[in-house]
Amino acid sequence: MIKKLLPLVVLVSCNILAMDKMHEHKSLSNDEYKTITHSSDANNMFAEFTSSLSNMQIVVVDVNGMVCDFCARGIEKTFYNDNDVKKVKVSLEQGKVLIAYSLNKKVNLDEIKNIFLSNGQTATGIIIKNI
Amino acid sequence: MGIYKYLIVILVLIFPLSNQVYSRPISWSGGSTFMYKTDSMKSSYYYHYSPLYRYSLGIEYVNDRHFNDQYFNFRGTYLLDRKNTKSSQRNFYVIGGLSTKSSDNFMYGIQGDWETRRLYSAFLHTDQHTETRDYSESEIQFGIAPYLGEYDDLHSWIMVKAKKNTINSDWDVYPFIKFFKGDFLIELGTKNSHWDIHYMIRF
Repeated sequence: MIKKLLPLVVLVSCNILAMDKMHEHKSLSNDEYKTITHSSDANNMFAEFTSSLSNMQIVVVDVNGMVCDFCARGIEKTFYNDNDVKKVKVSLEQGKVLIAYSLNKKVNLDEIKNIFLSNGQTATGIIIKNI
Repeated sequence: MGIYKYLIVILVLIFPLSNQVYSRPISWSGGSTFMYKTDSMKSSYYYHYSPLYRYSLGIEYVNDRHFNDQYFNFRGTYLLDRKNTKSSQRNFYVIGGLSTKSSDNFMYGIQGDWETRRLYSAFLHTDQHTETRDYSESEIQFGIAPYLGEYDDLHSWIMVKAKKNTINSDWDVYPFIKFFKGDFLIELGTKNSHWDIHYMIRF
């Protein structure tokens, strides 16, 4: 009987545990994200990404766990759900994601961090540059 | 629709319904996945939805050729633990399923994977309970990417898989290949004239 009930217990536990995890996020200050290292490749990526853009906020995110294209698809999809997002670029090689927001968007770092968490990756550094 | 999407659809249509594999049991929060799997014992069509990145709930239609049976499974997967580093990701999941056939048909198990952009490894163990017989299935996979593709490229993996269930008792070891591009993934393997196919779309 216990074995028969086990799958049901798993399903119910999934819901309960997942809801608990939703409330684990703590607020982070901007400074905690400003740890991004800049390589020449990263600079090139930034230059290429912004070459056709102007009057934008560019959010540069360092990401851990972004090792698989198939697993990173949700990042692009989720950001493009926001009408203020004009362009997204994912680089598996550099472990970076660049997001171009319109200038009137008030960028929320915790919101960005949670988007990556919801997709299975971890945002380890975020900076915002205006162009 | 690009040429790769056409290619994948054609491959799925022309291969016979016969076999199985496992991969990526949870999508991103709000994401859906459709999987088709077929191996020497059974075929299945599986849709799951992930309300959160921690778990997915889905329904699976199974055509079990070994027991000459067809039924639906309601399945759940929960992410027990995930570790992300700059160059890797590791996951552990617990899985469970209830069958519409009868209350004596259910399954549960564990699954895990570790991967970098170059290397992939995964394991799966399930206990399957049916009206006629209980059995276990185990599976181990290793893979290497011959080249490192960037985002949006066609990604290719050369894999080897070892499978065992307590009905056949012996381990089956065979190579297969995995391709993915965009939201489409396909795995193809063959052993003793049976195709082992896993096809997946995320949306």
